[in-house]
Amino acid sequence: MLWTAILLSSLTFVLGQTEEFQEKLSIKSLRDGRVASSFSFSILLRDASPRDPRFLAFDDDDSHHYTLFPLTLGQILRQYAVTELHLTLNAGKWNYDAWGYPDESGVGVGAELRAWMAEGGPSSIDDRWRGLRNALAGLFCASLGSLDEQRTTSPALSFPPDGYLPDWGLPHELRHASYASEHVCTENLTPFLKLLPCKSLSGLATLLNPHRLFDADWHGIGLHVLWHPEGVEVRLNVQLVSDPIRISSSRKQDWSFKTLFDRKVQKPCPVAKSSLVVVNLPSSGIYRVDPEPSFIKDGKAYYDLTNSPGSWNIKTVWPGDFEYPFSDSTPLVPFSVRRKLLSSAQDTGKLSIVVTNNQEEQLDLLYLETMPWIIQFYLHTARVYSDENLISNISYTLPVPHARPGTFESVLTLPGRSTLTFAMDVQKAFLRYTEHPPDAQRGWDLPPAVFTPLAHNGSTKQMRQFYTPSLLVDLATPDFSMPYNVIMFTCSVVAFIFGSVFNVLTRKFVIVRLEANGQK
Amino acid sequence: MPPVASRFRDPSTIFFQNDSVRRCIIASYWIIIVLAIPLWWKTTSIERLGLPTSQVYAEAEKKLRIPLSICLDEIFIDEVAKVMTGFQDTAEYLDVKVTAGWECNQSNSSSDYTVAWEDKLEIQDRTLYHPLSGSLTNTLKSLLAPQIDPRAAQYAPRYRLSFTLLNEDGSAGQVVNGWDIQEAIQRHVSPITSALSMLHNFTIESQVQFHAPLAFEPQSLSEGAYGLTPEDLTVFVNSAEWTLSSSSSNDPVLHFVLFVPSAERRPLRILNEDGTPSTSSAFLIPQWGGIVILNLPSPSSSQDESPSPSERVRLTADDLRQSFGAFSRQMTTLLGVPKLPPAISVSSSSPSSSSSFSTPFTHWQIDTLLRLRTHENIRRSQDTLRSTVKVVDEIEGMPVGEEVQNQVRGSLGALKHVLEILSDDGNTQLTATPNTPTSQYLSSLLAYSARALTLSSKAFFNPGMLAMLYFPAEHKYAVYTPLFASAMIPLVVAAMREVKAWMKERKEKRAALGGGGGEVRDGPPEQRED
Repeated sequence: MLWTAILLSSLTFVLGQTEEFQEKLSIKSLRDGRVASSFSFSILLRDASPRDPRFLAFDDDDSHHYTLFPLTLGQILRQYAVTELHLTLNAGKWNYDAWGYPDESGVGVGAELRAWMAEGGPSSIDDRWRGLRNALAGLFCASLGSLDEQRTTSPALSFPPDGYLPDWGLPHELRHASYASEHVCTENLTPFLKLLPCKSLSGLATLLNPHRLFDADWHGIGLHVLWHPEGVEVRLNVQLVSDPIRISSSRKQDWSFKTLFDRKVQKPCPVAKSSLVVVNLPSSGIYRVDPEPSFIKDGKAYYDLTNSPGSWNIKTVWPGDFEYPFSDSTPLVPFSVRRKLLSSAQDTGKLSIVVTNNQEEQLDLLYLETMPWIIQFYLHTARVYSDENLISNISYTLPVPHARPGTFESVLTLPGRSTLTFAMDVQKAFLRYTEHPPDAQRGWDLPPAVFTPLAHNGSTKQMRQFYTPSLLVDLATPDFSMPYNVIMFTCSVVAFIFGSVFNVLTRKFVIVRLEANGQK
Repeated sequence: MPPVASRFRDPSTIFFQNDSVRRCIIASYWIIIVLAIPLWWKTTSIERLGLPTSQVYAEAEKKLRIPLSICLDEIFIDEVAKVMTGFQDTAEYLDVKVTAGWECNQSNSSSDYTVAWEDKLEIQDRTLYHPLSGSLTNTLKSLLAPQIDPRAAQYAPRYRLSFTLLNEDGSAGQVVNGWDIQEAIQRHVSPITSALSMLHNFTIESQVQFHAPLAFEPQSLSEGAYGLTPEDLTVFVNSAEWTLSSSSSNDPVLHFVLFVPSAERRPLRILNEDGTPSTSSAFLIPQWGGIVILNLPSPSSSQDESPSPSERVRLTADDLRQSFGAFSRQMTTLLGVPKLPPAISVSSSSPSSSSSFSTPFTHWQIDTLLRLRTHENIRRSQDTLRSTVKVVDEIEGMPVGEEVQNQVRGSLGALKHVLEILSDDGNTQLTATPNTPTSQYLSSLLAYSARALTLSSKAFFNPGMLAMLYFPAEHKYAVYTPLFASAMIPLVVAAMREVKAWMKERKEKRAALGGGGGEVRDGPPEQRED
């Protein structure tokens, strides 16, 4: 019996060492002539499990030994006992109507961080959340420190865990924060690439040329850590939407690695288990894909670059110029959303959302609004401009000024081919002098709202989030040279009043008798 | 005139035109101002709690004297004085007591070390066997009071040991994609870490990188080899490209890098000053870590023209034996473990080595290291405390919070504790049995000295001490003057005028008393206000 136990433990020990790295690039030509590329690098730490927060009490963590898994990330995950983590840094507005759903659903503008952590152990979730934010801010050189308590929410339904939560008998909680003003740039990409086993020196990551990546119309990087019974998986992804028509001199939508990234894949990553390029073939028209793909399946051309050296420059060529499809403008997603903040006043406004169901079936949408306290909802003014009662399951967490954001979550029901308008009055906060950002006149970026289509059984599992563009709100902004003027002015007035009162109180009055000739 | 008088009341009959009322008004203003000054001072001043300055200076002056008793065999009785003076010259922090022969048992405390006579030079446990020939003083000095190796890292209660396997270019024909790191650590590193567990805690981490380019081009030698000149070694670590350390904790990191040169640049050798290849493939970067270059045999497949996928290699624990042997030697140096003099052999029949695996160090080395580290910590914390007090004294705008005060006090307390233990050592060591007490005694000294050091550096680097430097006094005055200057002028003028009037009045009263003159009241007004 004992021997079996020892044998089993040694067996898991050996298996526990296996780490896998897979990379994949999928390229799709979009309807408007742009090209969407999505890199996905996934590292699986087989048979590993997240850290139980109760073990944080023991100072001595088991040693970290990693081969492919990034050590710096592993340390952060273990130090703060994070079960699931999602970080995205994006720039630009994802045009769902013309581009369809992205490969990775996290396309909200700016920085978004969410983590699932278990409660228990010596340090609270909020302490660990703060530490995690700061550690990731240091790792990615991003201002994730701004995702503080004033932006942290815990929506109940919109972000279910992508993986599994371990059954420790501890409650797991979600922390979510987004910061729309964060701009992703080279300083975020460089540390991101260092997390990859082959960095950007071999394999598909060679293509990640910052000059081209940050020149794209839409670009974003993401980090996802999740646990499933196979092990802990880290997925690093980069998505971009480039415009070959803008780059090229002619009016052609041809693309190649060379034109999109200004690089070719020269060397395979020696430790990648699989290295795959998938090209979504256009559904119609005459085109040529070069070189010959390894195989074609379901309208997709697959290239297996695993351990196949040589210079790869995959391309698609069309014979003629690109013609913009004016006629075909039906949205590619089941529903479209427009979100606006209406008002000309500096203290009040109206938040308006117009959702259109593009399909025949009824659609249930989970609508989430996480709003910093600078915008406060008047919930009693919420109106749905429709005949039926189409809004249900409202949950609202009140914002606390200077401390906590508000969270509004509800379910919208849209009959087939219908449009729903939802509007609500809002109040704009009057900020303290020191709470204004350095570029106060620019306004405040409000985080995007998130819509999650519900399956018919009401579950959100495997449902993709839909992010609206962010909003810009103009708050009452003082003239920042004013305080000193005010000090000066107030001081002068106070000194003047004080002087007069004091003089009146202490002055000695006498009657001056004038000479008689003075009265003549 | 009568019509005038009827139209206006005589102003001197209004109650507040009374001299005493007016003076009361002025006085009350001044009283309020005077009373408000302490409040204003309290609300605008920086919190500067007192630090025990004189105690710090007194404590910083104190010299550490760690007692150490050696018992010599009767045969060495002539050496006693020589050994004593020898230690006094080299190691001031040691309070060496040397006895010989029957005196050993007479003194009421058992000796830490014994020296016995034998023909060979050998140590067993805490006993040294020394032949009559050779200098006993020098042997003891090199054993008990060696110089601190300047390459050793500064003391920290916890170190991170970071092992990194670097493939210079994994895509160039051959890649090491795994190593039996846990077994290698078990074999080569764990004995050291467990032997030093009395001094430090260790966190061990390891990673593998597949692309780790050098920042320079190694020199090409004849017969296809490449060389690293001593200048190249100083810039060998390419911090921009290699992600070696992480920032997840503040513990100091000792890096151990196993560098596998690219298949195209093999073998890579370290060159001596004169340009000839050195036999060693390892080098040490003081206080940072160690680097070992591992030249793998060339890929087994013949060098054909067509590029082929990289050959994958896994290093077994046996492959790593040589490299990890070098790492363990580098680690010993970096952790400051003193070396035994080369002539001394260690007896294998030592009773302490009866445990599961033999410790790589002797009691002499561990004890000496404990003393050296205690000495280093005490000196560093004394310096830090002195600097803290000095900085606070010199910069007047620097706030000193309760935290800093407590840290300084705590550090001072720990320092005092160490010195107290040392001052009444004779009594505490009394009942102890041989072997254990010396280490326990020394490790408790080290624990207190480490506490003193940690607290003193926490106080010195306390972030709260920087806060007020960014709000200089000039800003304060710029805000205050517009109000205070303009409000104070009428107050001062009124007060001066009233004092003047009062003095004049008194003088005239005295004159009137003396000369029996006329009435002051009906005289012309003394002052006129416009």
